[in-house]
Amino acid sequence: MTPGTDGSPPEGWEAPRERWLSTAVRPAFGPRSVLLEVVARLLIPAILTFSVFLLVSGHDRPGGGFAGGLVASMAYVLRYLAGGRHELAAGVPMRPNGFLALGMFLACCAAGIPLLFGQPVLDMPAATVSLPLFGDVKFAGYLVFETGVFLIVVGLVLSVVAALGARMEAEESEARLWRGRRARP
Amino acid sequence: MNLLLAAPFIVPLLGAAATLLLRRTPRSQQTVSVLAVSAVIAAAAALLVVTADGTVLAGQAGGWSAPLGITLVADPLSALLLTVSAVVLLIVLLYAIGQDVGGLSRAIPQVFHPVYLVLTAGVCLSFLAGDLFNLFVGFEVMLTASYTLITQAPTRERVRAGMIYTVVSLTSSILFLTGIALVYGLTGTVNLADIAQKLGGAPAELRTVLALLFLVVFGIKSALVPMHFWLPDSYPVALTRISAIFAALLTKVAVYAIIRTQTLLFGRDDISTVLLVLAIATMLVGILGALVQDDINRVLSFALVSHIGFMIFGLGVGTVAGIAGAVIYLVHHIVVQATLFLVNGLIRQHVGHTSLSAIRGMNAVSPKLALFFFLPAMSLAGLPPMSGFIAKVALFEAGVAAGDWLALVGVAAGVVTSLLTLLAIFRVWTRAFWGEPMPDMVEARSQLRQGANRRGLRFMTATTGVMVGIGLLVAAVSGPLSEVAFTAARDLVERQPYIEAVLGTGTQ
Repeated sequence: MTPGTDGSPPEGWEAPRERWLSTAVRPAFGPRSVLLEVVARLLIPAILTFSVFLLVSGHDRPGGGFAGGLVASMAYVLRYLAGGRHELAAGVPMRPNGFLALGMFLACCAAGIPLLFGQPVLDMPAATVSLPLFGDVKFAGYLVFETGVFLIVVGLVLSVVAALGARMEAEESEARLWRGRRARP
Repeated sequence: MNLLLAAPFIVPLLGAAATLLLRRTPRSQQTVSVLAVSAVIAAAAALLVVTADGTVLAGQAGGWSAPLGITLVADPLSALLLTVSAVVLLIVLLYAIGQDVGGLSRAIPQVFHPVYLVLTAGVCLSFLAGDLFNLFVGFEVMLTASYTLITQAPTRERVRAGMIYTVVSLTSSILFLTGIALVYGLTGTVNLADIAQKLGGAPAELRTVLALLFLVVFGIKSALVPMHFWLPDSYPVALTRISAIFAALLTKVAVYAIIRTQTLLFGRDDISTVLLVLAIATMLVGILGALVQDDINRVLSFALVSHIGFMIFGLGVGTVAGIAGAVIYLVHHIVVQATLFLVNGLIRQHVGHTSLSAIRGMNAVSPKLALFFFLPAMSLAGLPPMSGFIAKVALFEAGVAAGDWLALVGVAAGVVTSLLTLLAIFRVWTRAFWGEPMPDMVEARSQLRQGANRRGLRFMTATTGVMVGIGLLVAAVSGPLSEVAFTAARDLVERQPYIEAVLGTGTQ
């Protein structure tokens, strides 16, 4: 499949007509791949759910904020690869910096609040509650801290994607526009 | 107590989060940064007051008891350095704010405030860390922030310098991690106090190897000769506010780590000869390098390398007096280096560059700047009654009292280095400050005086003046300072107070 003159994919039988992702834009690299789009569409909710599972189960089993954050950011990287930077921007609620700031805020507050009560740093309460359906569930203050870590990791990966992928891509398309304008008489 | 121990790194991190959110409003960003660093000063000063009599405070994060959990420790040494560092951090921050408000920096770095606060948190955490791995974390937080800072307002030169800096730092971090793994393999713990107890039973050869490994790790970061080559290539290129804080603090944190690990973990005789030889080499090589540089920033960077040798010399002597001398020298040097780099930034602001061959007659252009340069420079060279003189006398006395021939050679090398420092300073003075100012300098100066820049410039000059004043203050309070330094050194040499505070029933 050869891309069109301005870089857009040709309209033809092999180009997917259904929109599998939320925006109708080109992927980051190469021509559109319907396979990747469908797989991304199917997998992203599952990956995100799994990352939340890792986050909440991390208190005394394998997992935790760091692992969960990495898995969640993989979902966003997949979305970026399948749909390009606009698709990525449509999928995240705020800019990478926002994630970093919010995560750091949560983590520091969770770590620092015990200090105000004369407890050592990071000393957090935990309580076991009996819920219907779920049985005994342990709520630990660490979950707030881990959520902060989770957000920091997601923010970090997203800023790496923004700096190394999306910005280059934006510059590329800018350069392409500029070339196109110059070629036209 | 817990609050005091944790606030110095929790508050800046909170500040970093807040400033990251407040990117659109520079004014509130600046307020938050200043408040956060001021809070660090308050906590550090309180710690200093509590520990000044030799008390060691320890806190266990999360309530896990000592050899298992994360331990935070403040002894007189760390509290003193924390206080001085926090003051310098605040003044450099104010200088940077003055520069930004006045619109004097061409490209205002977007993420300067958050990253600067993360750097602050890293420095504080390194000083307070009570276990080896947390020390590593503190270093990494500090260094990761510094990788970002050194390439702010990127030019080709800065990116090149940043590459060298990053690669060298990462190398030493990997060695650090290796060292931690070896220590853990040998003793089964990473808690400093616990290692101190368990390492005593280890074979002497193994202990020496570990001591040397940690000396190399922190030697790279503190620019000991022959591991100094990266520093004069990277520091001078960065923005003034950044090279000032790097020169003042980053190498000193590494010197602190050398003092901490060598006194607490390893016996005094293990590598004291190596320390003395390295110290002498560092003094002489550094200052000889400073004598042939053309750029004032590079002169100062080589002088920085050279004077790291004095502190290591104090540690190499190893007596209470020697280590106390090293501590006084640390305090003096943090303040003086920061001042000189700030003054240098002002010179660059006035005439556009800091090349000795193209500056003349700064005296006439700005007498205030000449005074601001003269005072800390004399302190660096060690003329009485400046703080440098007091620090050097303390070190030389300790060296002579030790009576060892290598220590005496070290004293001689120190005297020669001081004289050569004086020579290097005079070289800068005669070339840059004396004579008739060049016409383009006068023009640049009068352009600078016009317009909205003036307020910012006045603010920068004022903060630099405060820094000079603090340098004089260090000399004025040398009595109490040396008392605290001797208390700190006694704690370090005895080791028992530290170990008991962390492992014993003590404060926790």
